[in-house]
Amino acid sequence: MKALIALPDRCTGCQRCTLACSYAHTKTYSPSKSRIWVIRLERKIDQPIFCNQCGICISACPVNALSRDKKTGAIIVNEERCIGCGYCVNACPWGVIIIDHITHKAIKCDLCGGDPACVKECPEQALWFVDIREAAKFKRGATVKLLSYYYRAYGGGKE
Amino acid sequence: MKEWYGYAGKLVRINLSSGKIVKEPLDGAIVREYLGGVGYAAKIMWDEVKRGTDPYSPENLLIFATGPLTGTLFPFSGSYDLVFKSPLTGLWGESRAGGFFGPQLKFAGYDFLIISGRAEKPVYIWIEDDKVEIRDASHLWGKGIHETTRIILKETDENASVACIGPAGERLVRFACVIVDRDRAFGRCGGGAVMGSKKIKAVAVSGHGEIRVAKPELYERILEECKQIAEKFKKTTVFAQYGTAGIVLPLNEAGAFPTKNFQTCYFEHAEKISGETLARDYLIKRRACFACWIGCGRHVEVVSGPYITPPFEGPEYETINMLGAQLLIDDLRAIIKANYLCNDYGIDTISVGNCIAFAIEAFEKGLISSDMKGELPLEWGNPDTLLKSVEAIAFRKGLGDILAEGVKRAAERIGNGAKDIAVHVKGLETPAHDPRGTSRSFAIQYAVGNRGGCHTHPNWTGLWDFGRIDAGLISHGLPWPPISRFDEEHVKERARAVRLFSLHGLCAEILGFCRFAVEGGVGACMTPKILADFTSSLTGLDINEYQLLEVSERVLTLERCFNVREGVTKCDDRLPKRLFEPIKTGPTKGQSVRNFDKLLEAYYEEMAWDVNTGIPTKEKLQQLGLNFVISQIYQQK
Repeated sequence: MKALIALPDRCTGCQRCTLACSYAHTKTYSPSKSRIWVIRLERKIDQPIFCNQCGICISACPVNALSRDKKTGAIIVNEERCIGCGYCVNACPWGVIIIDHITHKAIKCDLCGGDPACVKECPEQALWFVDIREAAKFKRGATVKLLSYYYRAYGGGKE
Repeated sequence: MKEWYGYAGKLVRINLSSGKIVKEPLDGAIVREYLGGVGYAAKIMWDEVKRGTDPYSPENLLIFATGPLTGTLFPFSGSYDLVFKSPLTGLWGESRAGGFFGPQLKFAGYDFLIISGRAEKPVYIWIEDDKVEIRDASHLWGKGIHETTRIILKETDENASVACIGPAGERLVRFACVIVDRDRAFGRCGGGAVMGSKKIKAVAVSGHGEIRVAKPELYERILEECKQIAEKFKKTTVFAQYGTAGIVLPLNEAGAFPTKNFQTCYFEHAEKISGETLARDYLIKRRACFACWIGCGRHVEVVSGPYITPPFEGPEYETINMLGAQLLIDDLRAIIKANYLCNDYGIDTISVGNCIAFAIEAFEKGLISSDMKGELPLEWGNPDTLLKSVEAIAFRKGLGDILAEGVKRAAERIGNGAKDIAVHVKGLETPAHDPRGTSRSFAIQYAVGNRGGCHTHPNWTGLWDFGRIDAGLISHGLPWPPISRFDEEHVKERARAVRLFSLHGLCAEILGFCRFAVEGGVGACMTPKILADFTSSLTGLDINEYQLLEVSERVLTLERCFNVREGVTKCDDRLPKRLFEPIKTGPTKGQSVRNFDKLLEAYYEEMAWDVNTGIPTKEKLQQLGLNFVISQIYQQK
């Protein structure tokens, strides 16, 4: 199994991943249909954010529309079952599952079936899809970097 | 047209005098002839902005123009234009910006936003998909760019893109700019002053719609090719590593780095203000415009000393030259600080630098009296001069009030032959490239530029002889190999190159992408063929490379006709006196423009413009399908 990870020190905030994501899922360019977001904080941070496939949403769904894909480990939305109630949105601590404003169904990262479009589109190699055995190491580094940026950017040590 | 691909398919008109908001479908006939971006806007400007319109009057238009490529995955697609009649030149005015505004406008469902009229009280415009509102902006009037942006994002949507003016635009400083997303600028030609005259503080837009692709399979294949080109461009140029500031040292070593109000083309302290120094000492991170593969943006900050700034997108090449070398300032921190202030006040760094350099030289020569100078220090190499002048100009204080009119009007006002040291063409202050030191192609480009003395519209034509880049134009008749950059004998070849590079560069503004896409060497450049193929597969319009360059020529000529209608003829296509004076020092010492008339006339012939008047011939206009302009430009003569 593989995990999608982001390296915060590389992202330039270009949003190509959001375009690639919307194109991969809808064949159109529409950031509002993207399952990945790039948050630009004015001081120093550009950070991609997306579902880490933790699965909290599964049990929140009243109609069993969410399930884990055995092959990729991604949480998948069954569109036929989904009633757009938004319980999953409530449950998700990261804000990375949303209700599509046109279809009124839940949408989220499905890892593109095991070959994420965003990773291939990143011109800075800020997004990686790595084997789960290596992922933890990357994630620890990324988390610490992100925290240290945040700390420095927002007056770390001064207040 | 029924279905739009690449395009959003609509435009929105806002008349601030009546408060009327009208949404219209795009005109398929105009799209076929002019494609989009400044092309489509040029047709609107020709039809609707009548001869003699005062740039500050309600009749002037302000057109935010995107192209079909804007907002797609094309690797340079975060680019769009602002078109208006310029208060600096009284002629065709256009300005390009990066950032996120254009893509957001398209996702909201509009290719163009056309603003006319004048509001009674300060307003800002808020567009969220179908919802278009004119809102009160009294509480924002007088505020700087950064604060204005912050407040509007709070009042609208934190993901919106904001284009706004600062105190300079409100005070009608003639080279005020419109700043997008805090640090990206519609820099040149004074769009900010036009916005100020209409009493619009800002336009904010947030879009949730989509852009569709006509032929996905073909499109995806060509996109892969484009990405490889972009990757090669990134690897073979300095822009990703050092930003545009990376060309400070190479240009200086080539004697192509205008210095001291264009007295010379070599700055001995260039090292201190180079892209390398910027990256080493002040760069926080690189930041990209929408969908950009390169990321030339420099997010910088100065953390200590007298020139502290918050983090912001800092100086690029033009800014470093115009606020640095032109004033003999070698303290990069002062340049960064001045850049920050220019952004916050909303003034064009190129014009500001040019005006301050002019003022220092004029004072040195005794043309500006101590009385007129007031408290402003006017000394070469003094950071205080720079910072105080920027403020004086933005707020129109003392001598700044005169300089805020632009270098041409300032020189007329000062008199005493000050016009001899005012470096501008048609009123637009010339930027940091020099026909004498860089390439003689700029002698033509500056002289005939539709928006005045400009290095980038429609292209950086020195690519041919200075850059030795063919850009896929050989099959269109580009002379190859290129001649020496100082050659003034082979005027025909040079004129041909200027024409072809101009047409190629203009594609960027018509299709809506960044001009860097057409600046690379072999395998690193979006040739006309790739652009045409990409556009065809995206939009479904069947267009080949020859038709694409013909659209470019149509647009370039229509812009020219807009100026001709305003009275421009051959005698306006002049270079400032300074550029005929020999360069004083450095590797290009002694170089000057000697054969200007021949160069100009060769270009006229190449474009099929009348050699005696500079007006496009009737035959050429007919050939380009511009029959509708003939009666207007020929009747008045």
